[in-house]
Amino acid sequence: MSARLDGNIIVLEGACRVEDAEPLLGWLQADRSLIVDLTDAEHLHTAVLQLLMAMRPALKGPARDDFIREWLTPALLEADPLGMAPHEG
Amino acid sequence: MDDLLQHFIVEARELIQQATDDLLALERDPAQAVHLGSAFRAVHTLKGSVGLFDFAPMGLALHAAEDLLGILRAGEGRIDGGVIDSLLECIGQMEHWVGTIEQTGQLPLDAAEEGYRLARVLRSQLDDGPASAAPAIPEADLGWVREMMARSHVPAPLRAQNKPLVAVRYTPRADCFFAGDDPIALLRSVPELMAVRLSNRDPWPPAAEIDPFACNIRIEALSGAGLDAVKAAFRFVPDQVTILEIIQSSGDHVDAAKTGPQATGQAAGAAGGGSARMLRVDAARIDRLADLVGEMVVAKNALSHLASQAGDGLDRKDLAHGLLASQAVIDRLVAEMHRAVMDVRMMPMRDIFRRFPRAVRDIAGQLGKAIDFSMEGEDVEADKAVVEGLFEPLLHVLRNAVGHGAEPEHLRLEAGKPARTRIVLRARRNGDRVMVEVEDDGRGIDPAAIRRAARERGVASADDIERMSDAEVVELIFAPGFSTASEVTDLSGRGVGMDAVRSAVERLGGQASVRSSRGRGATVHLSLPLTVVMTRIMAVRVSGELYGIPLDGVVETAFVPASRILPVRGAEAFVLRDRTLPLVRLADLLDLPRPAEPHSGMKVVVMAVGDELVGIAVDGFAERMDVLMRPMTGILAGAPGLMGTTLLGDGSVLMILDVPELIG
Repeated sequence: MSARLDGNIIVLEGACRVEDAEPLLGWLQADRSLIVDLTDAEHLHTAVLQLLMAMRPALKGPARDDFIREWLTPALLEADPLGMAPHEG
Repeated sequence: MDDLLQHFIVEARELIQQATDDLLALERDPAQAVHLGSAFRAVHTLKGSVGLFDFAPMGLALHAAEDLLGILRAGEGRIDGGVIDSLLECIGQMEHWVGTIEQTGQLPLDAAEEGYRLARVLRSQLDDGPASAAPAIPEADLGWVREMMARSHVPAPLRAQNKPLVAVRYTPRADCFFAGDDPIALLRSVPELMAVRLSNRDPWPPAAEIDPFACNIRIEALSGAGLDAVKAAFRFVPDQVTILEIIQSSGDHVDAAKTGPQATGQAAGAAGGGSARMLRVDAARIDRLADLVGEMVVAKNALSHLASQAGDGLDRKDLAHGLLASQAVIDRLVAEMHRAVMDVRMMPMRDIFRRFPRAVRDIAGQLGKAIDFSMEGEDVEADKAVVEGLFEPLLHVLRNAVGHGAEPEHLRLEAGKPARTRIVLRARRNGDRVMVEVEDDGRGIDPAAIRRAARERGVASADDIERMSDAEVVELIFAPGFSTASEVTDLSGRGVGMDAVRSAVERLGGQASVRSSRGRGATVHLSLPLTVVMTRIMAVRVSGELYGIPLDGVVETAFVPASRILPVRGAEAFVLRDRTLPLVRLADLLDLPRPAEPHSGMKVVVMAVGDELVGIAVDGFAERMDVLMRPMTGILAGAPGLMGTTLLGDGSVLMILDVPELIG
């Protein structure tokens, strides 16, 4: 399991796989104020990523993984939760 | 064309054929699970091979076909005409595309659309299949590309270089996680990312209702890597991705060349020059050839040994003896090698026959005729050129049998025949010939109708037609000009009549004939040579040049004294054993300068031309030989009076004359 709850922080570590989506969703549904820590995540499976997009929890970082830091985190920050036209960046 | 692609084409054809056979068998007997399994495997394997290339539309359609077959195999669907039709349509399109790929190295431009259409049709056969899950790719509007460009972190130097960018819009299927896909992992594998935008495909449901395993994300990205590199990253999800190459011109104007989910827009034209045909050969036959080459080497060594002995002063008699022995061995080996090579070229009729059930089914379907088609003798082998050359003529004969032979069902029932017209395609070996016939139990050919049509179309003079027996009249269907444009329908061919059948068969060294019995059916017989045989020729000298004349037309050679040559009006004749024969000079026929005439007389080859004997005057006779005649090809194919060429021992080319044609 690459996702664990540590106090009020959900820590994503290593390569997060599709199986991690369900507990992540459970935690976020129960408490929308939880923070997701991406620092040690090496990969986010799409299922995990799209939950972050849908639930928009606060993120903690920066991720050490280049790809997550350079591409996924900015995309998460600017993705529009309502599916409306994205802001020009 | 690269090797891999060539193998793909050969293999694809076999798999397509296999699938077609199985589907047709399945239509006849839906309970045959073995055919269902075999069709499934063929489609599955083909899909796998397609995946090695950039032929996404094929993969898409085949994937749908595989799903449909899989569901049928699991017993969860009903096999009916509609299902078989849509599967056959898909397979037929694959066959067509493979042909296009063979010629051009890529799929036609409209392939993407057609692939989607086929997949849709196939998926619609699945009641609750994943059809709804496959999202339709929206028409590529370029707005998102511009937005991506605007936000991209393209370094200035790159912009300055006008390096092409590749834009990707990837909308994974909702159920893609179950297929083991991880779209973000794919994105990660895209080289030289310039921009990434993530969005949701559908609005997110309320938090409590989110399904974590339904993919609802759209990924858009820009990459500075080449089109091919980006395509490679997405090669397993071609149906879910749109890839555009952006040509950056000066300013911010964006020009996108749509290369979309379909085949490469700019794959280098493959097929360098005439596409080489591939031949699948039984390994044992190649082994046999290798053995013979080995023996040939031994024979050559024996000859080398003899040569060195001759140098050391072997006496004449021993030398002659050794040479003769060596020549005999080489003679035998050459004959065997020739046979072995011919064997390699032998292929079973099955290779073309198996395409006919489908064709007959289609034709019968178009015409609303009920046909019982069967084949015999698929194992009969003949030379590749003969077998392949038979496809078009046979297809036409079969079309005729369905179109003209088969009567409407009610007429058949009235005549006491089974409702379905029986058509049999049969091949058998008869000595050194292969006989192929198409027999139907339809209405037969009406001699009166043929007489009328032949008179109207001026195929033969009214008198001749009157004198002909019914059997001869029926043969008129092969006469040039008999089938007229008014008769040419979509079905009876593209302006090809039975005369084309006859000439195609004759080109292969065969004959065509027809037998008909009114009300009981007609049979078209094609008789063809089994192999491209060695031709026995006689070489003759004319005006200092050597030509070949096929020996089978030569009756005898003679020396005709000048005194026996009689001028007859403008021409000449000579008397040979109390018969007067016309004399033709080969030099005149060939437009060569006449050589100075010897006073004593001239050498004459007496040949049978039609029913008559004709003397052909030549300057001299040379040896007789067995040659492998190569038919004329290319621009020389139409050269009148030339039958073919052969290579002589000294490397020169010998022209083989068609004397009857020369005389005209």
